[in-house]
Amino acid sequence: MNTPVIDITDITKHYGKARGVDHISLQVNEGEIFGFIGPNGAGKSTTIRILLNLIFPDSGNARLMGMDVISDAKKIKRFTGYIPSDASAYPSMEVNDFLNYCLRYYSTENGTKRLKELSELFEVDLKRKIADLSLGNRKKVSIIQSLLHNPKLLIVDEPTMGLDPLMQSRFFDVLRSENQNGMTIFFSSHILSDIQALCRRVAIIREGRIIKVEEIEALRKRQLKKVHLQFENRPEKESFRIEGMEQIIQSADNSISFMYSGGINELIVTCTHTRLTDMTVEEPSLEEIFMHYYQ
Amino acid sequence: MINRNLFAREWKSNAAALLIWTLIITLLITLTMSVYRVFLENNTKILAMISILPKGALQFKGISSVDALFSVLGFYSANNVIYMLVLGSIYSIVLSSGILLREEYNKTAEFLLSWPLDRGEVFISKATVVFLNIFLLNLITSLAGLVSMIIVKKEAFSVNAFLILTLYTFLLNLLFATVGLLMSAMVKKPRPITTLSIGLVLILYFIFTFSKITESVSKIGYLTPFRYVNLDTLNPSYRLEPWNLLYFIGLSLLMTAIAYRLYRRKDIYV
Repeated sequence: MNTPVIDITDITKHYGKARGVDHISLQVNEGEIFGFIGPNGAGKSTTIRILLNLIFPDSGNARLMGMDVISDAKKIKRFTGYIPSDASAYPSMEVNDFLNYCLRYYSTENGTKRLKELSELFEVDLKRKIADLSLGNRKKVSIIQSLLHNPKLLIVDEPTMGLDPLMQSRFFDVLRSENQNGMTIFFSSHILSDIQALCRRVAIIREGRIIKVEEIEALRKRQLKKVHLQFENRPEKESFRIEGMEQIIQSADNSISFMYSGGINELIVTCTHTRLTDMTVEEPSLEEIFMHYYQ
Repeated sequence: MINRNLFAREWKSNAAALLIWTLIITLLITLTMSVYRVFLENNTKILAMISILPKGALQFKGISSVDALFSVLGFYSANNVIYMLVLGSIYSIVLSSGILLREEYNKTAEFLLSWPLDRGEVFISKATVVFLNIFLLNLITSLAGLVSMIIVKKEAFSVNAFLILTLYTFLLNLLFATVGLLMSAMVKKPRPITTLSIGLVLILYFIFTFSKITESVSKIGYLTPFRYVNLDTLNPSYRLEPWNLLYFIGLSLLMTAIAYRLYRRKDIYV
Protein backbone atom coordinates (compact mmCIF):
# COMPACT_ATOMS: atom_id res chain seq x y z
CA MET A 1 0.00 0.00 0.00
CA ASN A 2 1.35 3.45 -0.93
CA THR A 3 2.22 5.93 1.82
CA PRO A 4 -0.39 8.71 1.91
CA VAL A 5 0.92 12.02 0.57
CA ILE A 6 -0.75 13.76 3.51
CA ASP A 7 -1.01 11.84 6.75
CA ILE A 8 -2.39 13.75 9.73
CA THR A 9 -2.67 11.82 12.98
CA ASP A 10 -4.63 13.11 15.94
CA ILE A 11 -3.51 16.73 15.69
CA THR A 12 -4.71 19.30 18.19
CA LYS A 13 -3.95 22.99 18.20
CA HIS A 14 -5.37 25.63 20.52
CA TYR A 15 -4.68 29.35 20.50
CA GLY A 16 -4.73 29.99 24.21
CA LYS A 17 -8.29 29.15 25.18
CA ALA A 18 -9.57 29.40 21.61
CA ARG A 19 -9.91 26.23 19.61
CA GLY A 20 -7.93 25.76 16.43
CA VAL A 21 -8.30 22.10 15.56
CA ASP A 22 -9.21 19.27 17.86
CA HIS A 23 -7.84 15.74 17.41
CA ILE A 24 -8.03 15.69 13.64
CA SER A 25 -6.80 12.81 11.53
CA LEU A 26 -6.79 12.73 7.75
CA GLN A 27 -5.12 10.88 4.91
CA VAL A 28 -4.79 12.04 1.31
CA ASN A 29 -3.51 9.60 -1.27
CA GLU A 30 -1.10 10.20 -4.11
CA GLY A 31 -2.72 11.62 -7.23
CA GLU A 32 -5.89 12.84 -5.51
CA ILE A 33 -7.52 16.21 -5.75
CA PHE A 34 -8.79 16.31 -2.22
CA GLY A 35 -11.33 18.85 -1.07
CA PHE A 36 -11.21 20.36 2.40
CA ILE A 37 -14.37 22.24 3.14
CA GLY A 38 -15.82 23.99 6.12
CA PRO A 39 -17.26 27.30 7.20
CA ASN A 40 -15.04 30.24 8.14
CA GLY A 41 -13.17 29.60 11.38
CA ALA A 42 -13.69 25.83 11.19
CA GLY A 43 -9.93 25.09 11.30
CA LYS A 44 -9.02 24.80 7.60
CA SER A 45 -6.21 27.36 7.66
CA THR A 46 -4.92 26.06 11.00
CA THR A 47 -4.60 22.60 9.45
CA ILE A 48 -2.78 23.99 6.41
CA ARG A 49 -0.43 26.08 8.54
CA ILE A 50 0.49 23.02 10.56
CA LEU A 51 1.25 21.12 7.33
CA LEU A 52 3.48 23.99 6.18
CA ASN A 53 5.21 24.27 9.57
CA LEU A 54 4.04 27.86 10.01
CA ILE A 55 2.56 26.85 13.35
CA PHE A 56 3.29 23.93 15.66
CA PRO A 57 0.65 21.46 16.85
CA ASP A 58 0.07 21.02 20.58
CA SER A 59 -0.12 17.27 20.07
CA GLY A 60 -0.28 14.71 17.30
CA ASN A 61 1.84 14.57 14.19
CA ALA A 62 1.62 15.14 10.49
CA ARG A 63 3.63 13.75 7.62
CA LEU A 64 3.82 14.90 4.02
CA MET A 65 5.17 12.45 1.43
CA GLY A 66 6.27 10.27 4.35
CA MET A 67 8.31 13.06 5.99
CA ASP A 68 7.65 14.77 9.30
CA VAL A 69 6.30 18.31 8.86
CA ILE A 70 8.50 19.68 11.63
CA SER A 71 11.85 17.89 11.38
CA ASP A 72 11.83 17.53 7.58
CA ALA A 73 10.17 20.88 6.82
CA LYS A 74 12.85 22.13 4.43
CA LYS A 75 12.98 18.89 2.44
CA ILE A 76 9.19 18.75 2.21
CA LYS A 77 9.03 22.28 0.82
CA ARG A 78 11.21 21.35 -2.15
CA PHE A 79 8.32 19.21 -3.37
CA THR A 80 5.41 21.32 -2.17
CA GLY A 81 3.68 24.33 -3.67
CA TYR A 82 1.39 26.60 -1.68
CA ILE A 83 -1.19 29.18 -2.65
CA PRO A 84 -2.07 31.19 0.46
CA SER A 85 -5.54 32.66 0.85
CA ASP A 86 -4.07 36.12 1.30
CA ALA A 87 -1.94 36.81 -1.77
CA SER A 88 0.25 39.51 -0.20
CA ALA A 89 3.59 39.14 -1.94
CA TYR A 90 6.39 41.68 -1.48
CA PRO A 91 4.68 44.92 -2.61
CA SER A 92 7.83 46.81 -3.60
CA MET A 93 8.95 44.09 -6.05
CA GLU A 94 8.10 43.79 -9.71
CA VAL A 95 6.23 40.60 -10.60
CA ASN A 96 9.16 39.32 -12.65
CA ASP A 97 11.63 39.96 -9.79
CA PHE A 98 9.35 38.28 -7.30
CA LEU A 99 8.86 35.15 -9.42
CA ASN A 100 12.58 34.89 -10.19
CA TYR A 101 13.35 35.42 -6.51
CA CYS A 102 11.00 32.56 -5.70
CA LEU A 103 12.52 30.39 -8.44
CA ARG A 104 16.04 30.81 -7.02
CA TYR A 105 14.99 28.84 -3.92
CA TYR A 106 14.54 25.75 -6.07
CA SER A 107 16.96 23.89 -8.28
CA THR A 108 14.43 23.56 -11.08
CA GLU A 109 15.22 22.78 -14.68
CA ASN A 110 13.33 24.90 -17.18
CA GLY A 111 12.12 27.19 -14.40
CA THR A 112 12.43 30.33 -16.54
CA LYS A 113 10.56 28.68 -19.40
CA ARG A 114 7.81 27.62 -17.03
CA LEU A 115 7.62 31.11 -15.57
CA LYS A 116 7.10 32.51 -19.05
CA GLU A 117 4.48 29.89 -19.96
CA LEU A 118 2.48 30.35 -16.77
CA SER A 119 2.59 34.15 -16.89
CA GLU A 120 1.33 34.05 -20.47
CA LEU A 121 -1.40 31.56 -19.58
CA PHE A 122 -2.62 33.70 -16.68
CA GLU A 123 -2.02 36.95 -18.58
CA VAL A 124 0.20 38.47 -15.90
CA ASP A 125 2.17 41.62 -16.69
CA LEU A 126 5.66 40.80 -15.43
CA LYS A 127 6.80 44.40 -15.47
CA ARG A 128 4.25 45.70 -12.99
CA LYS A 129 4.89 46.27 -9.32
CA ILE A 130 3.04 43.90 -7.01
CA ALA A 131 1.71 46.87 -5.00
CA ASP A 132 -0.07 48.10 -8.15
CA LEU A 133 -1.86 44.80 -8.84
CA SER A 134 -5.52 44.09 -8.13
CA LEU A 135 -6.45 41.23 -5.79
CA GLY A 136 -7.16 38.95 -8.77
CA ASN A 137 -3.79 39.68 -10.37
CA ARG A 138 -1.97 39.17 -7.08
CA LYS A 139 -3.76 35.85 -6.80
CA LYS A 140 -2.53 34.90 -10.26
CA VAL A 141 1.06 35.74 -9.24
CA SER A 142 0.57 33.60 -6.17
CA ILE A 143 -0.69 30.71 -8.31
CA ILE A 144 2.31 30.99 -10.67
CA GLN A 145 4.85 31.00 -7.82
CA SER A 146 3.29 27.83 -6.41
CA LEU A 147 3.66 25.94 -9.70
CA LEU A 148 7.09 27.13 -10.91
CA HIS A 149 9.03 24.19 -9.47
CA ASN A 150 6.63 21.42 -10.55
CA PRO A 151 5.66 20.40 -7.02
CA LYS A 152 4.48 16.89 -6.21
CA LEU A 153 1.97 18.28 -3.73
CA LEU A 154 0.04 21.51 -4.11
CA ILE A 155 -1.73 22.97 -1.11
CA VAL A 156 -4.25 25.68 -1.92
CA ASP A 157 -6.21 27.82 0.51
CA GLU A 158 -9.24 29.63 -0.91
CA PRO A 159 -7.54 29.93 -4.30
CA THR A 160 -10.39 31.36 -6.37
CA MET A 161 -10.95 34.44 -4.22
CA GLY A 162 -10.57 37.46 -6.54
CA LEU A 163 -10.27 35.46 -9.77
CA ASP A 164 -12.71 36.24 -12.57
CA PRO A 165 -14.70 33.27 -14.01
CA LEU A 166 -12.42 32.97 -17.05
CA MET A 167 -9.25 32.83 -14.97
CA GLN A 168 -10.94 30.51 -12.50
CA SER A 169 -11.76 28.11 -15.31
CA ARG A 170 -8.20 28.37 -16.67
CA PHE A 171 -6.83 27.74 -13.19
CA PHE A 172 -9.00 24.65 -12.78
CA ASP A 173 -7.82 23.36 -16.17
CA VAL A 174 -4.20 23.78 -15.03
CA LEU A 175 -4.96 21.92 -11.81
CA ARG A 176 -6.63 19.04 -13.69
CA SER A 177 -3.73 18.84 -16.11
CA GLU A 178 -1.12 18.89 -13.31
CA ASN A 179 -3.11 16.27 -11.46
CA GLN A 180 -3.09 14.03 -14.54
CA ASN A 181 0.70 14.40 -14.53
CA GLY A 182 0.78 13.07 -10.98
CA MET A 183 0.43 16.14 -8.77
CA THR A 184 -1.57 15.64 -5.57
CA ILE A 185 -3.76 18.63 -4.72
CA PHE A 186 -5.12 19.57 -1.33
CA PHE A 187 -7.88 22.06 -2.08
CA SER A 188 -9.22 24.01 0.86
CA SER A 189 -12.23 26.21 0.32
CA HIS A 190 -15.56 27.22 1.75
CA ILE A 191 -17.00 27.43 -1.78
CA LEU A 192 -18.80 24.21 -2.51
CA SER A 193 -18.99 24.67 -6.27
CA ASP A 194 -15.16 24.89 -6.43
CA ILE A 195 -14.80 21.66 -4.49
CA GLN A 196 -17.50 19.99 -6.58
CA ALA A 197 -15.83 21.05 -9.85
CA LEU A 198 -12.49 19.50 -9.00
CA CYS A 199 -12.47 17.04 -6.15
CA ARG A 200 -13.43 13.41 -5.92
CA ARG A 201 -13.02 13.09 -2.19
CA VAL A 202 -13.75 15.65 0.46
CA ALA A 203 -13.26 16.19 4.18
CA ILE A 204 -15.75 18.35 6.02
CA ILE A 205 -14.38 20.24 9.00
CA ARG A 206 -16.54 21.97 11.56
CA GLU A 207 -15.57 23.60 14.85
CA GLY A 208 -12.08 22.16 14.63
CA ARG A 209 -13.16 18.56 14.07
CA ILE A 210 -13.33 16.53 10.89
CA ILE A 211 -16.89 15.32 10.79
CA LYS A 212 -16.90 13.46 7.49
CA VAL A 213 -14.45 12.22 4.88
CA GLU A 214 -16.25 10.88 1.88
CA GLU A 215 -16.40 10.77 -1.89
CA ILE A 216 -18.51 13.57 -3.33
CA GLU A 217 -20.66 11.02 -5.19
CA ALA A 218 -21.22 8.98 -2.04
CA LEU A 219 -22.35 12.09 -0.23
CA ARG A 220 -24.88 12.68 -2.92
CA LYS A 221 -26.15 9.10 -2.74
CA ARG A 222 -26.55 9.06 1.01
CA GLN A 223 -29.97 8.35 2.44
CA LEU A 224 -30.49 11.98 3.28
CA LYS A 225 -33.85 13.17 1.93
CA LYS A 226 -35.49 16.51 1.80
CA VAL A 227 -39.09 16.14 2.96
CA HIS A 228 -41.95 18.62 2.67
CA LEU A 229 -45.28 17.86 4.37
CA GLN A 230 -48.42 19.94 3.94
CA PHE A 231 -51.00 19.37 6.69
CA GLU A 232 -54.73 19.93 6.54
CA ASN A 233 -54.59 21.74 9.90
CA ARG A 234 -51.72 23.38 11.60
CA PRO A 235 -49.84 20.59 13.41
CA GLU A 236 -49.36 21.11 17.10
CA LYS A 237 -45.91 22.12 18.10
CA GLU A 238 -43.66 19.10 18.69
CA SER A 239 -46.48 16.73 17.65
CA PHE A 240 -44.71 15.62 14.49
CA ARG A 241 -41.30 14.35 15.45
CA ILE A 242 -39.44 11.26 14.14
CA GLU A 243 -35.87 10.24 14.77
CA GLY A 244 -33.68 11.47 11.91
CA MET A 245 -35.42 14.80 11.37
CA GLU A 246 -33.11 17.81 11.17
CA GLN A 247 -33.23 21.42 10.06
CA ILE A 248 -36.97 21.56 10.67
CA ILE A 249 -38.76 24.57 9.25
CA GLN A 250 -42.39 25.05 10.24
CA SER A 251 -44.27 27.50 8.02
CA ALA A 252 -47.40 29.52 8.59
CA ASP A 253 -49.16 27.65 5.76
CA ASN A 254 -49.49 24.46 7.87
CA SER A 255 -46.39 22.86 6.34
CA ILE A 256 -43.16 21.41 7.67
CA SER A 257 -39.92 20.97 5.72
CA PHE A 258 -36.97 19.03 7.05
CA MET A 259 -33.92 16.92 6.16
CA TYR A 260 -34.54 13.29 6.98
CA SER A 261 -31.96 10.57 7.47
CA GLY A 262 -34.22 7.90 9.04
CA GLY A 263 -36.07 4.98 7.45
CA ILE A 264 -38.73 5.80 4.86
CA ASN A 265 -41.23 3.29 6.41
CA GLU A 266 -41.09 5.05 9.78
CA LEU A 267 -41.79 8.34 8.02
CA ILE A 268 -44.82 6.92 6.18
CA VAL A 269 -46.21 5.25 9.32
CA THR A 270 -45.94 8.52 11.23
CA CYS A 271 -47.60 10.39 8.37
CA THR A 272 -50.62 8.03 8.45
CA HIS A 273 -51.49 9.38 11.91
CA THR A 274 -51.96 12.85 10.48
CA ARG A 275 -54.10 14.40 7.77
CA LEU A 276 -51.85 15.48 4.94
CA THR A 277 -52.80 17.40 1.84
CA ASP A 278 -49.43 17.03 0.15
CA MET A 279 -46.11 15.26 0.62
CA THR A 280 -42.86 15.52 -1.35
CA VAL A 281 -39.66 13.55 -0.75
CA GLU A 282 -36.72 14.59 -2.90
CA GLU A 283 -32.94 14.40 -3.21
CA PRO A 284 -31.29 17.34 -1.51
CA SER A 285 -28.77 19.44 -3.42
CA LEU A 286 -25.09 19.04 -2.57
CA GLU A 287 -25.27 22.44 -0.92
CA GLU A 288 -28.01 21.20 1.38
CA ILE A 289 -26.06 18.05 2.19
CA PHE A 290 -23.10 20.16 3.27
CA MET A 291 -25.33 22.43 5.31
CA HIS A 292 -26.58 19.29 7.02
CA TYR A 293 -23.02 18.64 8.19
CA TYR A 294 -22.21 22.26 8.95
CA GLN A 295 -25.06 22.81 11.37
CA MET B 1 23.52 28.38 7.13
CA ILE B 2 23.19 31.75 5.40
CA ASN B 3 20.85 31.55 2.46
CA ARG B 4 22.43 33.73 -0.22
CA ASN B 5 19.13 34.40 -1.97
CA LEU B 6 17.45 35.65 1.18
CA PHE B 7 20.55 37.53 2.29
CA ALA B 8 20.76 39.37 -1.06
CA ARG B 9 17.07 40.25 -0.94
CA GLU B 10 17.28 41.57 2.63
CA TRP B 11 20.48 43.45 1.88
CA LYS B 12 18.83 45.17 -1.07
CA SER B 13 15.60 46.00 0.73
CA ASN B 14 17.43 47.55 3.71
CA ALA B 15 20.10 49.41 1.72
CA ALA B 16 18.11 52.64 1.41
CA ALA B 17 17.52 52.86 5.17
CA LEU B 18 21.22 52.23 5.83
CA LEU B 19 22.16 54.95 3.39
CA ILE B 20 19.76 57.48 4.91
CA TRP B 21 20.75 56.78 8.53
CA THR B 22 24.46 56.82 7.64
CA LEU B 23 24.09 60.13 5.83
CA ILE B 24 22.13 61.72 8.67
CA ILE B 25 24.55 60.62 11.39
CA THR B 26 27.61 61.49 9.28
CA LEU B 27 26.15 64.92 8.59
CA LEU B 28 25.41 65.52 12.27
CA ILE B 29 28.92 64.46 13.29
CA THR B 30 30.68 66.57 10.67
CA LEU B 31 28.47 69.59 11.40
CA THR B 32 29.16 69.26 15.11
CA MET B 33 32.89 68.90 14.56
CA SER B 34 32.87 71.88 12.21
CA VAL B 35 31.95 74.18 15.15
CA TYR B 36 34.85 72.90 17.28
CA ARG B 37 37.12 75.79 16.25
CA VAL B 38 34.38 78.34 17.04
CA PHE B 39 33.91 76.58 20.38
CA LEU B 40 37.61 76.98 21.17
CA GLU B 41 37.62 80.65 20.17
CA ASN B 42 34.71 81.38 22.54
CA ASN B 43 36.00 79.34 25.44
CA THR B 44 35.53 82.08 28.07
CA LYS B 45 31.83 82.53 27.30
CA ILE B 46 31.31 78.77 27.09
CA LEU B 47 33.08 78.15 30.38
CA ALA B 48 30.79 80.71 32.00
CA MET B 49 27.75 78.93 30.59
CA ILE B 50 28.92 75.46 31.57
CA SER B 51 29.81 76.52 35.10
CA ILE B 52 26.13 77.04 35.92
CA LEU B 53 25.26 73.47 34.88
CA PRO B 54 25.09 70.75 37.54
CA LYS B 55 28.12 68.44 37.68
CA GLY B 56 26.09 65.49 36.45
CA ALA B 57 25.15 67.30 33.24
CA LEU B 58 28.68 66.81 32.03
CA GLN B 59 29.10 63.41 33.60
CA PHE B 60 26.39 61.80 31.56
CA LYS B 61 28.33 62.84 28.52
CA GLY B 62 31.34 61.09 29.97
CA ILE B 63 33.19 64.31 30.72
CA SER B 64 34.97 64.33 34.05
CA SER B 65 36.15 67.95 33.76
CA VAL B 66 35.18 70.99 31.71
CA ASP B 67 38.69 71.11 30.25
CA ALA B 68 38.02 67.85 28.45
CA LEU B 69 35.55 69.63 26.20
CA PHE B 70 38.36 71.72 24.74
CA SER B 71 40.32 68.75 23.42
CA VAL B 72 39.13 67.52 20.06
CA LEU B 73 38.54 63.93 21.26
CA GLY B 74 36.74 65.10 24.39
CA PHE B 75 34.54 67.37 22.25
CA TYR B 76 33.85 64.52 19.83
CA SER B 77 32.96 61.95 22.46
CA ALA B 78 30.80 64.40 24.47
CA ASN B 79 28.80 65.56 21.48
CA ASN B 80 28.53 62.34 19.59
CA VAL B 81 26.93 60.43 22.44
CA ILE B 82 23.54 61.39 21.13
CA TYR B 83 24.34 60.65 17.50
CA MET B 84 26.23 57.42 17.70
CA LEU B 85 25.03 55.90 20.94
CA VAL B 86 21.39 56.93 20.85
CA LEU B 87 20.63 57.33 17.14
CA GLY B 88 22.84 54.36 16.24
CA SER B 89 21.04 52.22 18.83
CA ILE B 90 17.64 53.37 17.59
CA TYR B 91 18.63 52.45 14.04
CA SER B 92 19.91 49.06 15.22
CA ILE B 93 16.83 48.11 17.23
CA VAL B 94 14.36 49.36 14.60
CA LEU B 95 16.17 47.40 11.89
CA SER B 96 16.44 44.20 13.89
CA SER B 97 12.96 44.24 15.38
CA GLY B 98 11.42 44.75 11.94
CA ILE B 99 13.44 42.38 9.84
CA LEU B 100 11.76 39.20 11.10
CA LEU B 101 8.41 40.62 12.14
CA ARG B 102 7.80 42.51 8.88
CA GLU B 103 7.35 39.18 7.08
CA GLU B 104 4.52 38.43 9.49
CA TYR B 105 2.57 41.69 9.50
CA ASN B 106 3.05 42.13 5.74
CA LYS B 107 1.84 38.55 5.37
CA THR B 108 4.84 37.61 3.20
CA ALA B 109 5.90 34.95 5.74
CA GLU B 110 3.34 32.63 4.13
CA PHE B 111 5.41 32.75 0.94
CA LEU B 112 8.86 32.83 2.51
CA LEU B 113 8.24 29.95 4.87
CA SER B 114 6.60 27.82 2.19
CA TRP B 115 9.83 27.87 0.18
CA PRO B 116 12.62 25.40 0.95
CA LEU B 117 14.27 27.24 3.81
CA ASP B 118 14.43 26.28 7.43
CA ARG B 119 13.70 28.78 10.17
CA GLY B 120 17.36 28.75 11.25
CA GLU B 121 18.44 29.88 7.77
CA VAL B 122 15.85 32.66 7.79
CA PHE B 123 17.02 33.87 11.19
CA ILE B 124 20.75 33.69 10.44
CA SER B 125 20.45 35.29 6.98
CA LYS B 126 18.41 38.18 8.35
CA ALA B 127 20.52 38.62 11.51
CA THR B 128 23.67 38.71 9.35
CA VAL B 129 22.18 41.55 7.30
CA VAL B 130 21.42 43.41 10.55
CA PHE B 131 24.94 42.94 11.94
CA LEU B 132 26.56 43.89 8.63
CA ASN B 133 24.43 47.04 8.34
CA ILE B 134 25.32 48.08 11.88
CA PHE B 135 28.99 47.42 11.21
CA LEU B 136 28.89 49.57 8.07
CA LEU B 137 26.98 52.36 9.82
CA ASN B 138 29.59 52.42 12.58
CA LEU B 139 32.50 52.14 10.17
CA ILE B 140 31.38 54.99 7.92
CA THR B 141 30.22 57.35 10.67
CA SER B 142 33.36 56.71 12.73
CA LEU B 143 35.55 57.35 9.72
CA ALA B 144 33.67 60.59 9.18
CA GLY B 145 34.32 61.47 12.85
CA LEU B 146 38.01 60.59 12.55
CA VAL B 147 38.49 62.62 9.38
CA SER B 148 36.59 65.59 10.90
CA MET B 149 38.78 65.47 14.00
CA ILE B 150 41.96 65.34 11.92
CA ILE B 151 40.76 68.38 9.97
CA VAL B 152 39.69 70.55 12.95
CA LYS B 153 42.22 69.45 15.62
CA LYS B 154 44.67 71.92 17.10
CA GLU B 155 46.56 69.34 19.09
CA ALA B 156 47.24 65.64 18.63
CA PHE B 157 44.71 63.19 20.05
CA SER B 158 44.82 59.49 20.92
CA VAL B 159 43.66 57.42 17.96
CA ASN B 160 43.75 54.41 20.26
CA ALA B 161 41.21 56.03 22.60
CA PHE B 162 39.09 56.93 19.57
CA LEU B 163 39.14 53.29 18.38
CA ILE B 164 38.15 52.05 21.83
CA LEU B 165 35.22 54.51 21.91
CA THR B 166 34.23 53.35 18.42
CA LEU B 167 34.30 49.72 19.52
CA TYR B 168 32.17 50.53 22.59
CA THR B 169 29.65 52.28 20.35
CA PHE B 170 29.55 49.35 17.95
CA LEU B 171 29.06 46.88 20.80
CA LEU B 172 26.22 48.97 22.24
CA ASN B 173 24.49 49.17 18.84
CA LEU B 174 24.96 45.43 18.41
CA LEU B 175 23.46 44.76 21.83
CA PHE B 176 20.36 46.77 20.94
CA ALA B 177 20.15 44.85 17.65
CA THR B 178 20.01 41.58 19.56
CA VAL B 179 17.33 43.04 21.86
CA GLY B 180 15.33 43.82 18.70
CA LEU B 181 15.75 40.28 17.39
CA LEU B 182 14.65 38.86 20.72
CA MET B 183 11.60 41.13 20.89
CA SER B 184 10.50 40.19 17.37
CA ALA B 185 10.91 36.48 18.17
CA MET B 186 8.80 36.91 21.30
CA VAL B 187 5.98 39.02 19.87
CA LYS B 188 2.93 36.89 19.19
CA LYS B 189 0.66 39.31 17.36
CA PRO B 190 2.03 40.28 13.95
CA ARG B 191 2.25 44.05 14.23
CA PRO B 192 5.10 46.56 14.05
CA ILE B 193 6.97 47.20 17.30
CA THR B 194 8.92 50.24 16.10
CA THR B 195 7.48 52.60 18.73
CA LEU B 196 8.17 50.11 21.50
CA SER B 197 11.75 49.63 20.25
CA ILE B 198 12.52 53.34 20.04
CA GLY B 199 10.83 53.87 23.40
CA LEU B 200 13.02 51.22 24.99
CA VAL B 201 16.25 52.89 23.81
CA LEU B 202 15.06 56.32 24.95
CA ILE B 203 13.88 55.07 28.34
CA LEU B 204 17.19 53.29 28.96
CA TYR B 205 19.07 56.41 27.92
CA PHE B 206 16.87 58.52 30.21
CA ILE B 207 17.56 56.16 33.13
CA PHE B 208 21.27 56.42 32.35
CA THR B 209 21.27 60.25 32.31
CA PHE B 210 19.06 60.40 35.40
CA SER B 211 21.41 58.09 37.28
CA LYS B 212 24.34 60.35 36.34
CA ILE B 213 22.63 63.59 37.30
CA THR B 214 21.06 62.35 40.54
CA GLU B 215 23.68 60.88 42.84
CA SER B 216 21.15 59.22 45.17
CA VAL B 217 19.89 56.98 42.36
CA SER B 218 23.21 56.42 40.63
CA LYS B 219 22.90 52.64 41.06
CA ILE B 220 19.94 52.36 38.69
CA GLY B 221 22.36 53.32 35.93
CA TYR B 222 23.65 49.75 36.05
CA LEU B 223 20.33 48.63 34.59
CA THR B 224 21.07 50.27 31.27
CA PRO B 225 23.71 49.24 28.72
CA PHE B 226 24.71 52.92 28.27
CA ARG B 227 26.36 52.69 31.68
CA TYR B 228 28.89 50.20 30.31
CA VAL B 229 30.13 52.49 27.55
CA ASN B 230 33.12 54.37 28.88
CA LEU B 231 33.14 57.85 27.35
CA ASP B 232 35.98 59.28 29.39
CA THR B 233 38.40 59.15 26.47
CA LEU B 234 40.82 61.67 27.96
CA ASN B 235 41.40 59.67 31.10
CA PRO B 236 44.99 58.37 30.91
CA SER B 237 43.82 54.92 32.05
CA TYR B 238 41.08 54.82 29.37
CA ARG B 239 40.91 51.32 27.96
CA LEU B 240 38.51 48.58 26.91
CA GLU B 241 37.35 47.19 30.23
CA PRO B 242 37.26 43.37 30.10
CA TRP B 243 34.08 43.20 32.21
CA ASN B 244 32.33 45.70 29.98
CA LEU B 245 33.46 43.76 26.94
CA LEU B 246 32.18 40.55 28.50
CA TYR B 247 28.90 42.28 29.36
CA PHE B 248 28.27 43.39 25.76
CA ILE B 249 29.47 40.23 24.02
CA GLY B 250 27.96 37.85 26.57
CA LEU B 251 24.57 39.54 26.61
CA SER B 252 24.47 39.90 22.81
CA LEU B 253 25.32 36.21 22.31
CA LEU B 254 22.80 35.14 24.93
CA MET B 255 19.98 37.20 23.41
CA THR B 256 20.80 36.07 19.88
CA ALA B 257 20.79 32.45 21.00
CA ILE B 258 17.44 32.83 22.80
CA ALA B 259 15.93 34.70 19.83
CA TYR B 260 17.17 31.99 17.44
CA ARG B 261 15.67 29.25 19.56
CA LEU B 262 12.36 31.05 19.99
CA TYR B 263 12.07 31.89 16.30
CA ARG B 264 12.64 28.28 15.28
CA ARG B 265 9.63 27.26 17.37
CA LYS B 266 7.52 30.36 16.85
CA ASP B 267 3.96 30.09 15.61
CA ILE B 268 3.80 32.40 12.61
CA TYR B 269 0.38 34.03 12.38
CA VAL B 270 -0.36 36.02 9.28
